[in-house]
Amino acid sequence: MLHYKNGEPAGLVTNIQKYTIHDGPGIRTEIFFKGCTMRCKWCSNPETISPLRELGVYPSKCVRDDKCGLCVKACPLDGAPIRFDGEHILASLAMAQACADCLRCADECPGRAIKLWGELMTAEELMKIILEDLSFYRRTGGGVTLNGGEVLVQWEFAHELLKRCREQEIHTCVETALNVPTEHMEAVFEYTDLVITDIKHMDPEKHRAYTGAGNELILKNIRRAAELGMKLVIRTPVVPGHNNSDEEIRAVGRFLRDELGGRIIQYQLLPYRKMGTEKYDSLGQPYPMGDFVPPERSQWEANLLHLASMLQEEFGLPAVPGSGAKLEL
Amino acid sequence: MNTEAKTRSDAPLAIEPYDREWGVGVSGMTEDPSPFPRINKMLKWLKETDSTADSQRAMILTEAYQKYEMYPQNIKCAMALRDVLQGVDVRIWPGELIVGELAAPPNSAPIYPEFSVDWLIDEFDNRPMENRTNDRYVVSKKVQDDIRSIQPYWKGKTLSEAVLASYTEEEKKGSHLEKCVLLESLFMYAGVGHVCANYEKLLKLGFGGIKKQIEEKMAALDESLPGDVKKKEFYTAELIMLEGVKSYITRYGDLAAVMARAEQDPVRKAELERVSSNCRWVAEGAPRDFWEAIQLWHIATNMIIIETNGHSVTYGRFDKIFWPFYKHDIESGTLTREFMQELIEHAFLKMHQLRKIRDTAAIIFSSGTIMGGTALDVGGVDENGDDITNDLSYMVLDAHAHTRIPNPWMGVRLHKGSPREFKIKVFNVIRIGTGEPKIFNDEPMIQSLLNYGKPIEDARNYVGIGCVEPAVPGKTYGWHDSGSMNLTKVMTLAINGGRCIECSDKCPRWAKCGGAGTQLSIDTGSLETFTSFDQVKESFDRQMKYWCDKLISTINKIDFAHQRLKPLPYLSLLVDDCVEKGKDVSVGGARYNHSGPQGVGLGTTADSLSVIKQLVFDEKKVTGAELLAALRANWEGYEPLYALVNSDRMHHYGNDDDYADEIAQFVMNTYCRHIEHRPTPHGGEYMPGVFSVTNNVMHGTVVWATPDGRKAGEPVSDCIGPAHTQCCSHDRRGPTAIANSVSKLDMPRIGNGIILNWKFSPSAVSGETGRDNLIALMDGYFERQGMQSQFAIVGKETLKAAQKDPDSYKDLLVRVAGYSAYFVELSPELQNDLIGRTELSFD
Repeated sequence: MLHYKNGEPAGLVTNIQKYTIHDGPGIRTEIFFKGCTMRCKWCSNPETISPLRELGVYPSKCVRDDKCGLCVKACPLDGAPIRFDGEHILASLAMAQACADCLRCADECPGRAIKLWGELMTAEELMKIILEDLSFYRRTGGGVTLNGGEVLVQWEFAHELLKRCREQEIHTCVETALNVPTEHMEAVFEYTDLVITDIKHMDPEKHRAYTGAGNELILKNIRRAAELGMKLVIRTPVVPGHNNSDEEIRAVGRFLRDELGGRIIQYQLLPYRKMGTEKYDSLGQPYPMGDFVPPERSQWEANLLHLASMLQEEFGLPAVPGSGAKLEL
Repeated sequence: MNTEAKTRSDAPLAIEPYDREWGVGVSGMTEDPSPFPRINKMLKWLKETDSTADSQRAMILTEAYQKYEMYPQNIKCAMALRDVLQGVDVRIWPGELIVGELAAPPNSAPIYPEFSVDWLIDEFDNRPMENRTNDRYVVSKKVQDDIRSIQPYWKGKTLSEAVLASYTEEEKKGSHLEKCVLLESLFMYAGVGHVCANYEKLLKLGFGGIKKQIEEKMAALDESLPGDVKKKEFYTAELIMLEGVKSYITRYGDLAAVMARAEQDPVRKAELERVSSNCRWVAEGAPRDFWEAIQLWHIATNMIIIETNGHSVTYGRFDKIFWPFYKHDIESGTLTREFMQELIEHAFLKMHQLRKIRDTAAIIFSSGTIMGGTALDVGGVDENGDDITNDLSYMVLDAHAHTRIPNPWMGVRLHKGSPREFKIKVFNVIRIGTGEPKIFNDEPMIQSLLNYGKPIEDARNYVGIGCVEPAVPGKTYGWHDSGSMNLTKVMTLAINGGRCIECSDKCPRWAKCGGAGTQLSIDTGSLETFTSFDQVKESFDRQMKYWCDKLISTINKIDFAHQRLKPLPYLSLLVDDCVEKGKDVSVGGARYNHSGPQGVGLGTTADSLSVIKQLVFDEKKVTGAELLAALRANWEGYEPLYALVNSDRMHHYGNDDDYADEIAQFVMNTYCRHIEHRPTPHGGEYMPGVFSVTNNVMHGTVVWATPDGRKAGEPVSDCIGPAHTQCCSHDRRGPTAIANSVSKLDMPRIGNGIILNWKFSPSAVSGETGRDNLIALMDGYFERQGMQSQFAIVGKETLKAAQKDPDSYKDLLVRVAGYSAYFVELSPELQNDLIGRTELSFD
């Protein structure tokens, strides 16, 4: 999917995070793109799922209807989609989507209680921001990480942006679920130095139950990426009740050993943490894992350590708990 | 035994590996941090001992002042301090290997009536210090009665009274007495401190060697010359002083000998015998090994503080001062590395016993019962520009990890040639989260000293005094924290016709100010009439000049009062060139003299001016009159505008945005221009600093609402960092953007130093990746000539939990500003300010 801004190709971006340190080596600038081909229940970036712009609403930042009212004044529908709980604005699914093509209220809202999720940015605009931290990338072997959503939904633009990074000799990393047409993946990998991807489950049905998609295409793409000689970091978000048993993780280990010949940079076991709930709220959506209570830190930490050492011992894989261990590139 | 000592080496021979990790964000929340059981035991004892006040120094001093009234002031002061050193009780505490107190027991503050005594009695009467929620002191009835008994003698004789009597109405109005546009009173109610003795000289010559120099100088005087008569007085005072010094140190030696005789445990007996011989020897002699050297260094420093309670008495460059002793002892097998490690930790515990009582008003904003400013540096280059990092540099950092107390205030000097292993050690200690150590960048620090005319060798040998103030150890008497200017208050006067924004009949000055048809300051224009941003800048510049003149004139009066009433014969022994010149340090005996007042609220002021430029002049979204009306209303009824000025639609300092960053440069340069290079009464030049320590909270209380979206009374921005308001933080683009913004400022121009506070959540700096990225971030900031950094690495959630349940977090040591302190001992105002600072978190 390719977007345009004033006739120029553009990416639809939800967030640019500087000094990210856990998605690739060194100090990085990470860019989050909109649009996803999966619906993982634990997703902590719900604002990146829809491929279109959306409005997020943060009631706590609202100045209050009676003291401000700029959103209602700006609204071409006289404020019909905007609801208040008497004082503060309320988030609603209807507003998040219905108003996404107008945005006049978001433009006027002084405190950003109405926030636009999804800004169109050209490659040139993004490069300007990326280059601000060039000296920090150089020192640390860092660079740029494209993430989402599923960045490969916007594969044409990603290709163009990464090409420009390569021209500046900036290290490039793509974090993708790889549930995309193989040729899109291949196009973007032309300018990709490091790929971070997930194996969320080896069983297609369980995979579908928790992510809304089977894993066949994903595993095929991972094999293809390995064939292309891509440097791969594979992750599994370890979600209690979904994939946290020894057997389920062993299945991943078997795949990595037997099908990829263990040729990966690192295998990371990530904890499930209840994050991004405020973003679901802002979109007027319920959190998919609802009232699931995550285990205590001491519990999941111990389990991740156990699983990582199990994979090291049984499969000889470079398995680590978390994403903080140094990448040996 | 390994008899190798290493310098300029990649492989230090400290007792801990250079890459040992102690955890991230764990702070002091650990049992028994030291490998030495005795250190752990003494730590517990110290933490359980209440802080108290002790009257013995005050009583002896008062008696002596009466007895020696007829003598010249410097001789009188020398005799009085000699009497104190000869007369106070001395004690040696269980397990101590290094001895010497502050003329009072551990955790006990002596009292200095010569500066002021009335405030103390006022506290006794009206605000009992044992009821304080922070900075609690338990003061016995006897001590209170003692202090009351000397109050009549001191009536009209104290330094603070002398200064107050000299103030004009014009000086009073902006001072700490009235509107607090500036704070000039730090050295009015206490001593100056802020100095580093010439330890290298002292350890080489001993007090006996210094005495010999004085006697030689004295013998060469020609008393028919009036100037030499004054010098004779000075040298006489110095010799009197040395009598006291000898007595004080020897008495500890004598006590140790008595205790050794009674001691049953043969190990302790031998230790006490050694402590005894150490003291008896260094009372005059030059130290012969590391143990004697550290004993002399410790007790010599304590006597500086017994003479005057100015804080930030600095311990110098430890790895440089002690290297010859360490090397000798290792190579000769005199002492083991392990034992010297333990001695360093003993020295840290001794620093942690120093106390200074502050008044109620002060402790709300600057809490921590500790003395304050026990600065000690390691690393950096020597006089020739070569790296000095050696085993001791690592051992000192390990000593902090082993004690986790807020003393000393540690500084690490880094430069392009600092070993990678050293940086790993430094950042592993930083990541513990106690806030120690801070780091200095040699290049701009050295440049700042060169800008004030120091020769290159002296500049390279700088030490950070107290918080961060660059000085030449043993040669500078810098008055480094002589005052502070509320940059934000000045800005408000510049946009409102010289009137306070909140001007009304509720102000105590109303009758003689607003009510009399006049105003606090000169009228340099108002937002109601300015037609361009250049006019705003010009107005700010004129206001700044006006208030800098006032700040300097009041500091000058305090300076003259110190010269007249509080000569420092003991300190003059230890600072070049007092003995050479025959001149007391208070009247210009030092080689380099300065006075360094700080500008406070840079970020708030810059954001305010930036908002004015953007909204009033560039975008014309509001008129100047509307903005002023919003400020007067403290934003009430102007909520949309309040939200807007706090939002990311505004250009704010700290986001690598030239629009706002250029304004920050303008604010900083304007302050510097009106302070720098002006003459001080004791010789030398004024030099500005840009840091607040915790004064930003204090200064904030006297400033009404400001255009950046700050409400009345909120703290102004801290040190050189970006602003945060009750609504939100104004820096939004992460640490690289902060580094880029801040380093646009011309830091070497700021002769009195800067502080940049970083706050990271533990997850952002965990793992080897987190460590290396943090090191790289600092390398990048330093390459851009960033001058200093210090770190708080404790999660916001932990701080909030500690506020709710202080008892479970007693050991939670955190970075406050120029120093670290136990979080639960801070005032709620300061706790909230710390929690509010932007936490850079990247889960």
